[in-house]
Amino acid sequence: MRKMKWSKILIIIFLVTLAIIFVVPYFWMISNSFKSTQEIMTDPQHLLPVNPTLRGYQKVLTESPFFYWLRNSLFITITNTVIILAVSSIVGYIFSKFKFRFKKTLLFIILATMMIPSQITMIPSFLLINKLGLYNNVGALIYPSFVNAFGIYLCKQFCDEIPNSLIESARIDGAKEFYIFRKIILPILKPALGALAIFTFLNYWNDYLNPLIMLNDIKKMTLPLALSFFASQHAADLSATMAAAALIMIPVTIVFMMFQKYFIKGITMTGIK
Amino acid sequence: MKYKKFVWIILIPVFIHMSVFIIGPIFAGVGISFFDYNPLNAHQNFIGMQNYVRLLSDNVFIKAVTNTLFFVAVTVTLNVTISLGIASLINSFRSNKVRSLFRMIFFLPCVAPLVASSVVWSKSILTTTNGLVNIVLRQLGFAGVNWLGDPNILMWSIIVFTLWADIGYNIILFTAGLDGIPADIYEASDIDGASKWQQFIHVTVPLLGRTFAFVLVMTLISHFQMFAQFAVMAVKNGPLNSGVVLTSQIYRTAFEYKDMGYASAISVVLFLIILVVSMVQQKLNKVEWEY
Repeated sequence: MRKMKWSKILIIIFLVTLAIIFVVPYFWMISNSFKSTQEIMTDPQHLLPVNPTLRGYQKVLTESPFFYWLRNSLFITITNTVIILAVSSIVGYIFSKFKFRFKKTLLFIILATMMIPSQITMIPSFLLINKLGLYNNVGALIYPSFVNAFGIYLCKQFCDEIPNSLIESARIDGAKEFYIFRKIILPILKPALGALAIFTFLNYWNDYLNPLIMLNDIKKMTLPLALSFFASQHAADLSATMAAAALIMIPVTIVFMMFQKYFIKGITMTGIK
Repeated sequence: MKYKKFVWIILIPVFIHMSVFIIGPIFAGVGISFFDYNPLNAHQNFIGMQNYVRLLSDNVFIKAVTNTLFFVAVTVTLNVTISLGIASLINSFRSNKVRSLFRMIFFLPCVAPLVASSVVWSKSILTTTNGLVNIVLRQLGFAGVNWLGDPNILMWSIIVFTLWADIGYNIILFTAGLDGIPADIYEASDIDGASKWQQFIHVTVPLLGRTFAFVLVMTLISHFQMFAQFAVMAVKNGPLNSGVVLTSQIYRTAFEYKDMGYASAISVVLFLIILVVSMVQQKLNKVEWEY
């Protein structure tokens, strides 16, 4: 019994230390964002700012088009999430509950695209977007993402659990196909769609490579791209850079903390990485 | 048979969209690798295998391949072992509150954009004079280290960063997998007098097989494609190209040098590496993890 207790204490000490190390970069970013750049350069060893200042934040919010970036990020992310949920749920339902020609082949094609690294489609997609006149347009980050193989797969798995008799009895009652989908299937899919929504949102909110390729104009950038741009433009101004990073990282982190139960459920349910 | 119309009204636009934005570009990506493709040129010349031949004598490409394989091998091994270790320590607590608190903390870095945390690490954690790590080292009486400027250290800095940034997913997947192992198996092995370590090796690890295989494949595939931290932390490939990987070399070749044919050839190589690795994985999983 005694031995048991000691090992428990050691585990606690170990995990708490590790947890502190995990949070330290956040702490340091926030602390630096309230220091003056001069203090960071000449007197960097204080954990907390000696003369706290809001100048870094002021600089980001007034001297950069921060609110454009925020709006672009919100618009692209929300649009993509809504479209992907709609398409995934109905296509997943169709592959789960309907019989039609080429069903196996078509499903295989969708699933196979999950294994393809995005680097191989990156250059042709860029050329295509250019041809369509969508370069430097938010459309470039929206139109290509309607069909999400993982979302379709997830919804299909969920629909497989729905008894066929439920759908058939609705048909006998004379319900139209869209009506059945909306009134019967969608409510059952809710947990899957919740998880999918969280991860689609995170995925597009955090995306860096696609905006980097498709957007050029400062005002059209999304937050992650804008941050790397801002950091290279203001390389010498560390407090403003840290303030920009904090403005981008803190909101998602707070949202995550509020909904962490659903995040964790979603990851375990879907295994999304 | 009325529902046939419903099926095709939905599926036809979906597959048209897929052909335009996913399937078409896959074939085009392979196709462009046979051209001397530069969007600034008027004509794109077909050059057959020449891009691939050029790869063989390209030192930066070879460095990118070895760096990528090194990064993936080290990071994935450490990621899977450490996250399994942390997950089983977290699961040794009974209280759900304690468990979810720890899971939440280790997951925090996964939520932020990778490029944002890369900026924070490269500008304020790993910088030589005012980076937090060196400040601590100096306080303890050690000399500071040039984390991002020394060709022998850069890749290790990126590996540590990536572990910090990405380990939370696997911790959550493993804690869920561990929860799925029935408690009576542990009770039975307790009665048989197995130590905690014996239990871990003979009960936990084999019964975690499916989660383990899944985590390994997903982590491998995602790590081959990591880009943001290399773009930020290995400025211009890092000293002596010590931080170049395939993804960053594809990006640079295509969009900075506009050498898109050659960049496509590199991306075909990356695709083939991922394909081979995931096929080997599938084979091994079938043999080893069936229970």
